Amino acid sequence: MLVWWRRRQTGPRVGPGRVAPARWHACAVSDSPAYLTPPPSPNHEMLSSFCFCRSATRRLSYPSAARMAAVSTASEAKEPQQPSPVLHIGHMNVENDAVFTTPSILFTRATVITPTGSKTLYAVWALLRPYGTAWPMLKSYSTVAKRLDKFKTTIFTQMSMLAVKHGAINLGQGFPNFDGPDFVKEAAIQAIRDGKNQYARGCGVPDLNSAIVDRFHKDTGLHIDPEKEVTVTSGCTEAIAATMLGLINPGDEVILFAPFYDSYEATLSMADAKIKVITLRPPDFAVSVDELKSAVSKNTRAILINTPHNPTGKMFTRAELEQIASLCIENDVLVFADEVYDKLAFEAEHISIASLPGMYERTVTMNSLGKTFSLTGWKIGWAIAPPHLTWGLRQAHSFLTFSTSTPMQWAASVALRAPDTYYEELKRDYLAKKAILVEGLKAAGFIVYPSSGTYFVMVDHTPFGCENDIDFCEYLIKEVGVVAIPTSVFYLNPEEGKNLVRFTFCKDEETLRAAVERMKERLHKS
Amino acid sequence: MSRAIPSGPGQAANAQARLKAPAIDKMEAKLSKASRALNASPIQEISHLAQRCGAINLAEGFPDFPAPPQVKHAAVAAIAADLNQYRHVQGICDLLAVKMKQNHVLDFDPLTDFVICCGQSEAFAATILATIDQGDEVLIFDPAYETYESCIILAGGIPLELRISQVYVPLDPPYWTLNVDKFMRSFTGRTKAVVLNRSLNEEKIGCIKETNYNSYSPHNPTGKVFSKEELEVIAAACCQMDCLAITDEVYEYITFDTHKHLSIASLPMMKERTIITSSLSKTFSVTGWRIGWACAPTAIASAIRNIHIKITDSAPAPFQEAALAALQSPPEYFSSLKADYVARRDFLIKMLSEVGFQVHNKPQGSVFIFAELPKTCLLCDVSELSPATFPFIDFVKELIEKAGVAAVPGRGFFHGDCNDLTQQSRYVRFAFCKSNDTLSAADQKMRSCVGK
Repeated sequence: MLVWWRRRQTGPRVGPGRVAPARWHACAVSDSPAYLTPPPSPNHEMLSSFCFCRSATRRLSYPSAARMAAVSTASEAKEPQQPSPVLHIGHMNVENDAVFTTPSILFTRATVITPTGSKTLYAVWALLRPYGTAWPMLKSYSTVAKRLDKFKTTIFTQMSMLAVKHGAINLGQGFPNFDGPDFVKEAAIQAIRDGKNQYARGCGVPDLNSAIVDRFHKDTGLHIDPEKEVTVTSGCTEAIAATMLGLINPGDEVILFAPFYDSYEATLSMADAKIKVITLRPPDFAVSVDELKSAVSKNTRAILINTPHNPTGKMFTRAELEQIASLCIENDVLVFADEVYDKLAFEAEHISIASLPGMYERTVTMNSLGKTFSLTGWKIGWAIAPPHLTWGLRQAHSFLTFSTSTPMQWAASVALRAPDTYYEELKRDYLAKKAILVEGLKAAGFIVYPSSGTYFVMVDHTPFGCENDIDFCEYLIKEVGVVAIPTSVFYLNPEEGKNLVRFTFCKDEETLRAAVERMKERLHKS
Repeated sequence: MSRAIPSGPGQAANAQARLKAPAIDKMEAKLSKASRALNASPIQEISHLAQRCGAINLAEGFPDFPAPPQVKHAAVAAIAADLNQYRHVQGICDLLAVKMKQNHVLDFDPLTDFVICCGQSEAFAATILATIDQGDEVLIFDPAYETYESCIILAGGIPLELRISQVYVPLDPPYWTLNVDKFMRSFTGRTKAVVLNRSLNEEKIGCIKETNYNSYSPHNPTGKVFSKEELEVIAAACCQMDCLAITDEVYEYITFDTHKHLSIASLPMMKERTIITSSLSKTFSVTGWRIGWACAPTAIASAIRNIHIKITDSAPAPFQEAALAALQSPPEYFSSLKADYVARRDFLIKMLSEVGFQVHNKPQGSVFIFAELPKTCLLCDVSELSPATFPFIDFVKELIEKAGVAAVPGRGFFHGDCNDLTQQSRYVRFAFCKSNDTLSAADQKMRSCVGK
């Protein structure tokens, strides 16, 4: 993916009454070009052969297949040292408020013809170490980045950027636009005032560890040791990273269910694991027992399950979990269970696989505060595992972040002791929101798949005639003014997700209604 | 739990642990080799003992006095103002860019060159994961903060037998000077980076000069800072060998006397190959907030950011807002921070010297004093030293149980036989980032137990 930048006269608004300084402004996203041709001569300028056109509403459309020719700046470009499909190294004007300050960068310049005139856009490919010739640098840059092949800018950031640009209603990113409950916020404020601002114990503030244990007992009936079996982390994201890095050796086989949350693949590649994927298919995204049986073998180290499941909203049934459990016991496989949405279980009962017979000793159960209490930015998560597994993930945790934010941990221990009424109200609220969204999506013409848990709904967008999910999401942003997430990014093989997009309903009701209205009005079936 | 007892942190012990790695039971065999080689932190063990005995804790390096009120207010206001969802507060990067310019005359782009992480710990971990591949060597100066090694092992992708090796360049006591020869000889074709620890000891190149050397970032545990000459040597080596420099500058505002914190990135040709990591924790006495950052040339910063997003996704949101207030503190805040720490340092040095410890060098930075045991102390019986025992934890234990003061055995900061083991086992680390009341109480207790 390439992000295109344009120089603006004044900066974008970044808050009430605040404008950022005039800068390079991201304004378009395109595919990477299939090829690049070097310019015929250093002084020749070529126009890009993009199909870039400006719609009547002054919004840029996105090329579905970009083919670009290299352009070079008129006089400053140097001849490439070796034949290469890549562009010239050029010098950007280093102005006081330009984005790029290192002299040697690799960029593409494109000139866009619009009904109102022309605009010049730049896309930066790589920032090179500014000494010597560029070509060896390119090579070493890619060596550094080898681990990072899976770590490109996330789709969420890209879509959010577009949403802001077009004033679209964001039903893509999975965090609420309403805030957490007052009693939890007050607990955090009190902790800060009480001076609880220094390092907490690495595995968690004892109060929080016991609150987690109590909650887990309520949910599963299991008794666990707060000192030896609970580790507090900076969000469930870190619990996942610590589990992978602490318990997976390079070359280990790990099974994932697609579609999957994007950090699973990334952290597994950090741990150098071999990933095997079992795809969950619409309409009910059930686990195929045959596929499962053929995937699990004596070589399997771990299976990662996420229930309730992001993005499909599926909840693993008891039968499915029992299948998985028996295969794990038979083949001596670990299970990593990501259960962040366990309190958003609507149509079915949430079952923790750790509670099944023979499973606790081989399971890491991960959860967090953020989704249940609408405080996603606090980064309080935890991993529950038997002592021998906890030891491994604690090692990784202590070197990833060392310890977790202290005042928030104190507040979390208050939150987790919330009475059942809190959870019932939470469910009621979300069910109301879900009803608005689901009914709206159906009325607008989507094929809506039933979602039993989480605050996500998966739909099939093919009635609207777009070729794939990314195209559809772009169309949805530009023409309808609503953001959804294309789900092909959640699959190892993107083809499998191209008919599906994900909406979220963790927004206040007014926002949901407005989004639904826009879709009903402006979406046209083809 | 069988692995609860830490094996000695010396290299011999580590090597033994790595080779044996006994699988106590089948499940334990499921741990990754990396995690099995990493040992539990001795500092945390000591803190637990100290807590149990009600001892005064001069072991862990975090303050027992409150954080500055305006910073706490900002955090409280942020929570109340509903700034509690995932966010990236660009303003922090803007302020950091200004500070970089002011303090080091370095130009960084706030939009692309900073990554806000959960503490300097995460910034360092993400940097290592972003730049170190299997087989890369990383030079670390010895004595060093215990986390560096483990981070690098983690990134080495395991197994440990070969792959990533971190090479310790010993600093010579008693002044912890950089021996240029030893340093240059540690470079190999596979050296990818040099880690410049929190604070280091200076060695004047050649002869000993006591006069005003510009200091480098204060070092944990010895409190020494690299002189400009030493930094230039390191910088030249990095440029020549085409290596990265990763710096940990958490104590950047806690430097004393005439020493001013000098970042290696400000030396010629170093900006493009240096990654600076730092945090709010020590400067604003908020070690539990987990707000830190990495500052690097754009391409590397981008790589670090991508890793960070997959490890934690975002630093705690309300504290990012509070960081804005903190980073806008007036210069008086920083000067009084320094003055307070100088007073505490001097107090503790006086106390230790009068009790019989040998403080060879006054720390020029950080919040620790690395002192040698009193000559009369017979607890350090080195002849019975074996990798599994930990003689200096005995001394420290005595100190906790009898004198009621907790400190950290210095041996844990050394690695391997690059330093004389006898030497290594004679050092203890004390922290002085404690309130005046605490330090006075410690003073009383120590004096009453002299000659134990």
